[in-house]
Amino acid sequence: MKKFSQFLVLGLFVVALFSSCAKQPTEAIDAAKAAIEAATKEGASVYAADDLKKLNDDLQAAMDEVNTQGKKFFKKFGTAKEMLVKVQADADALKATIPGKIEAAKNAALQAQTEAKAAIDEAKALLEKAPMGKGTKADIMAMKADLGGLETSFAEIQTAIDGADYFGASATAATIKEKAMVISDQVKAAIEKVTGKR
Amino acid sequence: MKTALPVTALFFCIFCAVTCQIPPVPPEVDKAKAQENDLWRAGAPIYAPAEYARYVESLRAAREKLIRQKARLRWFRDYEEVRADYIVILSQGDTLSKKVQEEKRSQSQDFSQRLIRFETRMGKIKALTQMMNEHAPVRENLARAEVVARDAQTLIRDEKYNELAPKLDLMDRHIRQAEEALFSILARYADDAQVARWRKLAEDTISESRRRGTTAVLVNKLARTLTLFKNGKEIAVYEIGLGKYGLSDKLFAGDEATPEGRYRIVKKNAHSRYHKALLLDYPNEYDRRRFALAKKKGSIPARAAIGGLIEIHGGGNDSLTNGCVGVENSVMDRIFPQVAVGTVVTIVGSLESVNKLLAGLRVAGS
Repeated sequence: MKKFSQFLVLGLFVVALFSSCAKQPTEAIDAAKAAIEAATKEGASVYAADDLKKLNDDLQAAMDEVNTQGKKFFKKFGTAKEMLVKVQADADALKATIPGKIEAAKNAALQAQTEAKAAIDEAKALLEKAPMGKGTKADIMAMKADLGGLETSFAEIQTAIDGADYFGASATAATIKEKAMVISDQVKAAIEKVTGKR
Repeated sequence: MKTALPVTALFFCIFCAVTCQIPPVPPEVDKAKAQENDLWRAGAPIYAPAEYARYVESLRAAREKLIRQKARLRWFRDYEEVRADYIVILSQGDTLSKKVQEEKRSQSQDFSQRLIRFETRMGKIKALTQMMNEHAPVRENLARAEVVARDAQTLIRDEKYNELAPKLDLMDRHIRQAEEALFSILARYADDAQVARWRKLAEDTISESRRRGTTAVLVNKLARTLTLFKNGKEIAVYEIGLGKYGLSDKLFAGDEATPEGRYRIVKKNAHSRYHKALLLDYPNEYDRRRFALAKKKGSIPARAAIGGLIEIHGGGNDSLTNGCVGVENSVMDRIFPQVAVGTVVTIVGSLESVNKLLAGLRVAGS
């Protein structure tokens, strides 16, 4: 009977050891969540939305594993911890890529802005030297008015850049460039029309 | 014998542990994960937020059950209920996916139609600017609206409908500004009393031509026509060109407007720098009175002069004049012999009110 009692105590001790010593990896959970939060704050939801979604899914999978183990009699949080550490590492890595992505988007917007400006300037120069003669004067006036509208819209590119809306700025700049180029083509056609008649 | 029982029990347990099959996690779980990702990418949180929230909640509840089963000892795991839940979720996801597609299609149609309506409005306004030279504020706003329209088209193409509403609002604002500029230019042309006065002036001129058996010239600024009458009968209609602010009534020198009223040809110049020219007696007595009044009121610059040298001349009808009426040289050649010094030239804004035209714009924009 004494032996049985000793075995029982030992058994209970072992059970207690296995079931209570494995603690939830709260630090790893907090670290992973904080890393995702930091990546989001950096701009991941705008510049790497798919990657951020994957990170959140991975975090969810890790949390599922934590919950599964938490409900087990014999808890093993090793896998969950590994998953969380990976999530944190991935989030840190993603966060590190965001400034580069923002910089690239900003540079693209600035490049598009420069190109739009060049297209407007070219159209303007062409309009200045366009023959305001018979058959073209009214057209040239209309094109000048259209170009005036594009110049006003051009200011909106800077507003978008200042507001860190680089994709919006690029799109508007591309449109302005395209429309200014159409005006240039029309002026060239008008010049040809006049010179052709001479 | 005493040890035989525990040993047998131990072997039985080991046998069970080795041979008992661990029930696999149902494949529906992974399918649901993939489905949730697809729904997220398709924009379910944006286009069907309530349904998506319910779907995610169902998914969370099912995952809880899955976790509970996974936490059990392998021999006691039973995924049947979990599987059944996930099957329901997959079906729920399919319905949600259809709803998202439907919502996107509906929004695409709605926004595309709004865009088409805006473009129609812009087309009508642009067409009206062809009737005038003072179109700069109108066209500038239209150009701005066109830039936004292109951005909106790109957003529709990329299925970013949630970003479209502010773009269309901005476009609407630019179009309204263009309309306002247009309405302001054409305000006198929408004034029925003013149009009636012009009509009376034109009728008097035609009646006089009929009564006296003379030639008369009627210039309609908005229609951009010069009509030649003989004995009150219309014998020819020609296209004309006007000044930069040709639709305005001339008030002083340099305003680049074309005068309105009843004038006479005071000189025929067969060797003008604009081919041939017919000088009018602008300013007449009425113009002088109006000019003096405007100066008194301070509505024109104090140093402004009343101006003069208003002609009907050649040089082309698509060139901008400084207030004169321009016609093609060939037209001038035809008009020149038909008229004489003293021939009446009546210049009116329009014989038709533009109210109908402008009302059409407002209807299109509403």
